[in-house]
Amino acid sequence: MGNLYLINKEYGENGLNLASQDKEAIVVLLHDGVYISPKLYPSKAKIYAIKQDVEKRGLSGKLSAKYMVAFSLPKHVEYIDYYRLVDLIAENKVINFA
Amino acid sequence: MAQKNVLVMINRPPYGSIYYTEGLRAAVGVTSGVDENRVTVAYLGDGVHFALTGVDRKDTDKYLGTLKKQGARLVVQKESLKERGIKEEEVGEGFEILPIKEIFLLLQGADFTMDF
Repeated sequence: MGNLYLINKEYGENGLNLASQDKEAIVVLLHDGVYISPKLYPSKAKIYAIKQDVEKRGLSGKLSAKYMVAFSLPKHVEYIDYYRLVDLIAENKVINFA
Repeated sequence: MAQKNVLVMINRPPYGSIYYTEGLRAAVGVTSGVDENRVTVAYLGDGVHFALTGVDRKDTDKYLGTLKKQGARLVVQKESLKERGIKEEEVGEGFEILPIKEIFLLLQGADFTMDF
């Protein structure tokens, strides 16, 4: 059981700042949170992103290659669906910034 | 239900939305009732603007007064002040300025968190 940080864009940076203090942080980027600059990702945290939210915004690797947009999430970000998110919420203490 | 520690995090500045008052109203709500839960209000990011001395508090004075009576702490993130060019002496009375390390310890110690 760890702290699960749910991150959207509006004030997600506040959550990422706190998560960077947390050795066992689990971060989920959802909705516009997938737009947040990877530079702000906490280095030690496990980072997830919601697959549908990434694909709808054309941020998954293959899409960006086709449209020559060099904009996709870093390799270490794991894509999950909402079912997996529900499991994560049930397994961890939720800290919401979404 | 036993007494709980609750951390209310306010991320938005005053007067641009209702969140800065609703966050305080929720914090007062947390302290009422049989369990007398303990609450801390933390101002993060743009939320720190609320701590400025010059902010008009007509619509939040009653909440702040109740929270003070209940012994609730109002903490402000030090780094967020610096990033916004706000000097510590410009922060109003009753607010504690804490670095993020210490705010994280409050988060760890909280049974629940709420964000506004």
